[in-house]
Amino acid sequence: MNYPLLNKTAAVIVFLALWEILPRFGLVNPMFIPPLSAVLATGLHLVENGELVTHTLVSLERAFGGLLAAMVVGFPLGLVLGGGFPRLREAVGPLMELFAQANPLILAHIIIFFLGIGQSARIFIIAWLCLWPITFSVIDGIRSADPLLLKAAGSLGLGRVGLFTRVVLPSSAPTIFTGVRLAAGYAFIMLIASEMMGASSGLGWLVAQGQENYHVTRIFAGAAVITTLAVATDGLLRLVERRVVVWKVNTE
Amino acid sequence: MSVTGESLRRFLLRWSGVAVFLAAWEVAPRLDWIDPYFVPPFSTVLREAGVMFRDGTLGMHLVVSLWRAVAGLLTAILIGMPVGFLLGRRLVGVEQALRPILTVLSQVNPFSLLPVFLLFFGIGETAKVAVVSWVSLWPVMSFTITATRNVDPAQIRTALSMGISRLDLYCKVVLPAALPTIFTGMRVGAGLTFLILVAAEMLGSSAGLGYLVHNSAMNYLIPRIYAGATFIVVLGFLLNRLLLHVERRLSGVWEAGAFVTGPAGPAGAARLPGPAVSVAALGAVLIFIVFGGLEVSRINREAASYPSEALKHFGHIGQPVDR
Repeated sequence: MNYPLLNKTAAVIVFLALWEILPRFGLVNPMFIPPLSAVLATGLHLVENGELVTHTLVSLERAFGGLLAAMVVGFPLGLVLGGGFPRLREAVGPLMELFAQANPLILAHIIIFFLGIGQSARIFIIAWLCLWPITFSVIDGIRSADPLLLKAAGSLGLGRVGLFTRVVLPSSAPTIFTGVRLAAGYAFIMLIASEMMGASSGLGWLVAQGQENYHVTRIFAGAAVITTLAVATDGLLRLVERRVVVWKVNTE
Repeated sequence: MSVTGESLRRFLLRWSGVAVFLAAWEVAPRLDWIDPYFVPPFSTVLREAGVMFRDGTLGMHLVVSLWRAVAGLLTAILIGMPVGFLLGRRLVGVEQALRPILTVLSQVNPFSLLPVFLLFFGIGETAKVAVVSWVSLWPVMSFTITATRNVDPAQIRTALSMGISRLDLYCKVVLPAALPTIFTGMRVGAGLTFLILVAAEMLGSSAGLGYLVHNSAMNYLIPRIYAGATFIVVLGFLLNRLLLHVERRLSGVWEAGAFVTGPAGPAGAARLPGPAVSVAALGAVLIFIVFGGLEVSRINREAASYPSEALKHFGHIGQPVDR
């Protein structure tokens, strides 16, 4: 077939159509899975009274605040540990591996003791979670730079700074981007969990609220917005990656 | 320098960071650099963990959490691997058409689905297992699709030209070739599973490691929070190491430069497990699923029949409500 766009969207259209039809004809209990149109109507209603926009903005601020903070700390940390100091890297490796396992939600209550129940505690939770994939991928990316390329560039007379900015960084960019995309995925997953656990705003709160009041359409509307945000963020990062990593041969 | 001396030095260097951290954790509260009420010294936390270990609290919650994780992962594998095989080898066109929807579904947040699962499955174990398997399903499936698709076509053609049957082709050529990559998918899924499970247990549950931490926080048992958290961290660390080890064994490739896993070792040959090992591993998992399931349902019944789990472990044994 010569309709690539149609091919790509056909499954999505079928999926959405089934979502509408199955509950309408009672093939799925519409109390549990309301038809798409009902979810859309609720979504529209939430947009009109401004709730959806407010909560989305709050959630986005937390997610991107945390991701940004993780990048600000993780990039320099990864550069230092990956670029030099092999003994230091060896010494802190297992500690960082343990820290990466420390799911910040289990320490949420303690973090709240120190930072209060405001925005900063939640941003800290997200940032902690995102920090490790970013740091690890920067270290791995820098260390896996092809030594042949480094030697070649060095023998062509490139200095240390030039070597770093023109050889090491570009060659580690794909690995770093993988880490950042992984971190963004974590950020959204944990953001919603932390908002469901005890917040008074945000998309996770919207879903939890829908659950408590048996507003099933609200749950689905909230879930749909969260999914869209996650997909859009991932798509955006892919786009940036394609722009930055122009030299990479597309393997997909 | 002897080999053992060298490796001992390496070992000391690698763990010196952890040792310094633990020392700081012990000293800082003792010298009042941090409020010892909020951050109790490490020895206090260890003692608390010892108490919980001896009265069986830790073991109980560990069994519940592990059972949920294993059951969820197993469900994901049982669904994801066959579907991945089908989509990867037989229904290539279907896979291309489905890819956008699979991408979107894999991004659906498991916590926003939790209320929906609760509606379908009730508040029992099934909803939690469903959340966990939802999370690990996507990595398992997508890695299976990639793995089965990237099997060397020369191997397949060779086997076909020797008149291999369809079933044998899958069991003896495709599966062994794809297994290392599939296992990577399982490891990714398991890592996510553990993270999500603990969070899900904090959100609403009456047992499990996440519940243990949450419950301690609700009752201001601060050393207990740290003890539970430390236990979860160590468990996650060991789990990750174990799976990485198995993965390296399966693929025979010692990834050079992977930072977390330490220095790269020599490349070895891929070692697929023999039938005895596979059967033993499978049997152990099945036994754990059955007996663990019995244990979990007993714990759940008990938790429901006491007024409060926390009270039970502090000596005020509540009267069991009629069983």
